[in-house]
Amino acid sequence: MLAAIGVALLLLGLTLATIGLVGLLRMPEILHQLHAAGLVTGPAVILVLLASVASGSAEIITSAALVILFVLVTAPLSAHAIAQAARRRPRR
Amino acid sequence: MPGVVVDIAFAWATLLLLAGGLLLLRAPDTLHRVLALDVLVAIVIALLTILSYLRDVSYYIDAALALALLSFTATLVAARYVTRGGPF
Repeated sequence: MLAAIGVALLLLGLTLATIGLVGLLRMPEILHQLHAAGLVTGPAVILVLLASVASGSAEIITSAALVILFVLVTAPLSAHAIAQAARRRPRR
Repeated sequence: MPGVVVDIAFAWATLLLLAGGLLLLRAPDTLHRVLALDVLVAIVIALLTILSYLRDVSYYIDAALALALLSFTATLVAARYVTRGGPF
């Protein structure tokens, strides 16, 4: 049961990363790309890390929980910094 | 988790890393490159996590944590650098 959940989370996370990368490769503008990049840096990484519940090792689950907390805080912050830079940079 | 699935996931994440490299090569200016590097680091974090499932040890995820910290700082400073010409 737990193994099935882990496999589903892992493959779902990788699918989301693939969708995000296809979006990144197709979109021309930086703000459009930022929209697709939010899928890779946020939910995809978190789902792959959540799959650690199936690993059955306390060390792996603890480290993964720490990384999940860190990613939850920093992914929106760095996306916001890039968006602000795109808005404020001098026009070409 | 079944070993076959983790193997497939590892290969898949490696292909995603190649796509991220293509994205970095196609980037037309600095801000696109900053964004591409941010995405590449996210993929490397996923890759290190899958490697830790594959070998059943925890310290690859600690390396992923350090990498996430470095990437966060680097993205903030580089975004500042694009707009203001310096990190502060």
